[in-house]
Amino acid sequence: MIRGRIFDIKRFAVHDGDGIRTTIFFSGCPLRCLWCHNPEGIAPEPRLAFHRQRCSQCGDCLSLCPKSALATGPDGTPLLDRDRCTGCGVCAAACQNEALVRCGRDVTIEDLLPVLLEDRPFYDNSGGGVTLSGGECLLQDEFCEPLLRELKAEGIRTAVDTCGFVTREAIDRVAPWTDDFLYDIKALDDVVHSRCTGRPCGPIPDNLRHLDKIGARIEVRIPFVPGYNDGEIDRIGQFLADLDRRPRVRLLPYNPFAGSKYESLGMKNPLPGLPPPDEDHLAEARRRLASCGLTEDRPDAVERV
Amino acid sequence: MTHSIEKDRTFIESKYHRTDEPFNPFIRMAYHGTGYAPETGLDDLDIRSGLEVLAAEHADLPHSLQKAHAVAYILDNTRLYVSPHDYFVGIDAWCRMIAQTTIRKWEKDVFATLPPELIEFQYAARQGGALDMRPDYDHSVPDWQSILSLGFPGLLQRIFHHREHHRNAQRLNPERAAFFDAMTIEYRAILRLLERMRRCAEAQLFEKSPILSKCLAHLHDGPPTDTYEALQTIYLFFLICESVDHYQVRSLGNGLDASLRPFIQRDLASGRWTELHIRTFLSYFLMQFSAIGNYWGHPFYLGGSDEQGRCTVDDVSYLILDVYDTLHIYNPKIQIKIGAGTPAAFRRKALDMIRRGTSSIVFVCEDAMIRAMMGYGATLQEARTADISGCYEYRVRGNENVTLSIYLNLLKAVQLVFGNGTDHDTGFQLGPPTGHIHTLQTFSDFRTACLRQLDALIDQAIRFTDCYEGRLEDINPSIMLTPVCENALRRGIPAYAEGMSYNNSSLLCIGFASAVDTMMTVKKMVYDERRITLDELKAALDANWDGYEPIRRAVRRLPFKFGNHEPETDALAEAFSSYLLGRINLRPNSRGGIYKAEMHAALHFRSFGSACGASPDGRRQGDELSKNASPSVGMDRNGATALILSALKLHPQQYMEGFCLDVMLHPSAVAGEDGMKAWDALLETYRKGGGASIQFNVMDAAILRDAQEHPERYRNLQVRVCGWNVLWNNLDPQEQAAYIERAENIR
Repeated sequence: MIRGRIFDIKRFAVHDGDGIRTTIFFSGCPLRCLWCHNPEGIAPEPRLAFHRQRCSQCGDCLSLCPKSALATGPDGTPLLDRDRCTGCGVCAAACQNEALVRCGRDVTIEDLLPVLLEDRPFYDNSGGGVTLSGGECLLQDEFCEPLLRELKAEGIRTAVDTCGFVTREAIDRVAPWTDDFLYDIKALDDVVHSRCTGRPCGPIPDNLRHLDKIGARIEVRIPFVPGYNDGEIDRIGQFLADLDRRPRVRLLPYNPFAGSKYESLGMKNPLPGLPPPDEDHLAEARRRLASCGLTEDRPDAVERV
Repeated sequence: MTHSIEKDRTFIESKYHRTDEPFNPFIRMAYHGTGYAPETGLDDLDIRSGLEVLAAEHADLPHSLQKAHAVAYILDNTRLYVSPHDYFVGIDAWCRMIAQTTIRKWEKDVFATLPPELIEFQYAARQGGALDMRPDYDHSVPDWQSILSLGFPGLLQRIFHHREHHRNAQRLNPERAAFFDAMTIEYRAILRLLERMRRCAEAQLFEKSPILSKCLAHLHDGPPTDTYEALQTIYLFFLICESVDHYQVRSLGNGLDASLRPFIQRDLASGRWTELHIRTFLSYFLMQFSAIGNYWGHPFYLGGSDEQGRCTVDDVSYLILDVYDTLHIYNPKIQIKIGAGTPAAFRRKALDMIRRGTSSIVFVCEDAMIRAMMGYGATLQEARTADISGCYEYRVRGNENVTLSIYLNLLKAVQLVFGNGTDHDTGFQLGPPTGHIHTLQTFSDFRTACLRQLDALIDQAIRFTDCYEGRLEDINPSIMLTPVCENALRRGIPAYAEGMSYNNSSLLCIGFASAVDTMMTVKKMVYDERRITLDELKAALDANWDGYEPIRRAVRRLPFKFGNHEPETDALAEAFSSYLLGRINLRPNSRGGIYKAEMHAALHFRSFGSACGASPDGRRQGDELSKNASPSVGMDRNGATALILSALKLHPQQYMEGFCLDVMLHPSAVAGEDGMKAWDALLETYRKGGGASIQFNVMDAAILRDAQEHPERYRNLQVRVCGWNVLWNNLDPQEQAAYIERAENIR
């Protein structure tokens, strides 16, 4: 039975496509964005998060680790040796305080479907549905395709949130079963893109053109991180304006609230102390996009009330 | 006329209590305002003495006449308030002073006749936080339509008319005659009060006095003629009932928009008043209730349907909501009655107000209301045009009197099983012996024992309540209320007796999720997984979980908590809810009516919680219980959609008195246009799925934590507690912590 690896399911998601949605976050991502808000979804392997403030220092976890990766730290909370930890989650299963949490688990489509269908009345009343996100869900296209097909068979609207750094095959595989693509564009200059995400643009622009050509319904999302990719707005605007159909475009202003996530995962926060963009800066970016005919409005959106 | 509400705000506040002293809304009746002219009447001390003399003189009269004379004495002698800073009048003696010599005395007399074992049970049940039972006079809604169309003199004429009718039909026995005389005395006293107020206003020289004295003259002689006079009438009727007659009108208007609509439309069409004038009058009107500061929030509602089921929302509804919005107040509170025809724009205007911090708004779905009311015999037309009373209770307009008489702690029923019917917290035998816990071999045994304890609590509560409710009218004659319910006048039977067509009593269910979580914990930990025995669990509870922390953590972590759309828990909750409804709804009361179940915790989730020992759901001694249909604190982990789906399993439309769900949302979930649309869809899904009332708190745990540390920065931050909005700073640190815990779990 085919399995996918996910690290979270979020119900009542309202910013991942139209209406009220349930969003599945898939593990593994080809990019290393400096501003990543889901660092627990970067690696394809499960990773252990330790939320120190929740720990009651009960010590239950210490003896359980098969790799002896846990020891008592000076303050009584466990000290985790990340080099030894395999993310197996034995300790997390025993932790009563949810201080130790395993990020990443394998699921089947049969596991997911009942959960995803629970909120059907809310989807129906809001024009919502299910969104596959991540990480990068299309790294698991062999799982996503049958999942999306099942959802369509149930009459559920589907969306795929992708960074675009995936194969054309993956895109073509899911496109027939996907109502909406949420497509991230971070930069179009390879140097800037590499600096921001660790990789050049690669297949991202072409994949977007391809989706446009095959008539996919697209919302382009531009993370807006002052000092990093804010100089790219005009170039992105021009590129999008040249597509056959102008997509809905949304700016996602950087917000600095992922710091504690990095800490709990034992990862270095790449942008410590970076403030969110101010309103003037955002308004200017929106104005520039608007000058290319790009707005957050979706001309074909029909509101269901 | 200038719109000077901001300038006058402090003066209006000080009309009801001194603004330079701390104000505790829970003892608001103890406060006195300033600005009452000494030359216009007597002070409290003299009035109290006068009432004592009066009581001695009238001791042989029927209660109705004794009360009417006492009320008239206060209206004739109280000091008056007419101020350059206010369009509304005031009376000094506003703390229900008649009670001492009348109602409180008569209540004692009636209770002295009750069987001693029931009195003892009532005491024990209250001590142990199992039940609270009390006579209630504060949850009726008058037929405002008749008040506004007849005015005070017209109501007096109506009393004469019906008295004459009964006399002609040979039905005017001495008791009935006394009651009609009592109504006459009280309504005549109101007219004298209006005249005293008019003279007082006329003697003043300030901008507002001419319009005020003209208004009072009109109200003395007939019904209100314009919007301002209609508002003054509503306010005066409220004020006299609330502070003198000892009865509270639990909604301002039969829908404030519906009641004011003809006046506002006529004024605007004729040019009598401009929209700015009307906004000003509404502002001063609403400020009165904000200044009074009833801790439960004085309610009015907007929207809903007419008899034919057509939506009534129009410009007047938007106007009132808009005026409220500009005032930045949290009292009165507003119910928005929504149905299939309610415009999305109206819902969204209210949602937007909540999003911006006005949390004194609750949505009441009329689809559920109609089903609930037709379930106890209301016609479709009666159900469509029904009023919302108090927090979320349903009333046939002008023809249903309901007492909120029994508050029942559902968790206690489960706890009693552990003591074989004896209450661990007080040592009283509150329930029947259901067997030592050793004998409960299966979960089915345990659940059956819970239901038997529940049956016994309900039966005893109803037995006790029935003993005195038949005599409500003896305790507090409904002199102000009866003339505004024509059915009661026609029958010649007072409103608290069987004068209305519907004379019902309600039973409020408290701690629903706490009880369900407790039963599920026992099922899973004791019977299914055998991780602990009932004896061990009892020992942990007796120790208030001290020394049992690992088990407590395991219990808290169990996923079987109500509000998460967990199938097994929801199935038990649904069955428990159905059982409860079957035991309460439609049971006859002692006033010719029935009992109605309500899922509403009032403030008893705190008082019951503080009297209750530790419970198997991991709750410690003294911790609050779950509120309304909401999950236990911090136990909703699957977000708003899961919570709503769980709540809908309980069949909200079968709670004949009302049902409310509280939903806490993170600000980011409702931000922007997307957030608004999704939120509105959430509300509509609840309504279409059979939901009744729902209230939203938009809260960010970080903001709440900051507010706890820096109360001075958050003076206006408020949260909704079971229909009452309270200021954050009025919650104690433990309660604040509970809110923060819940906010942290919002998904």
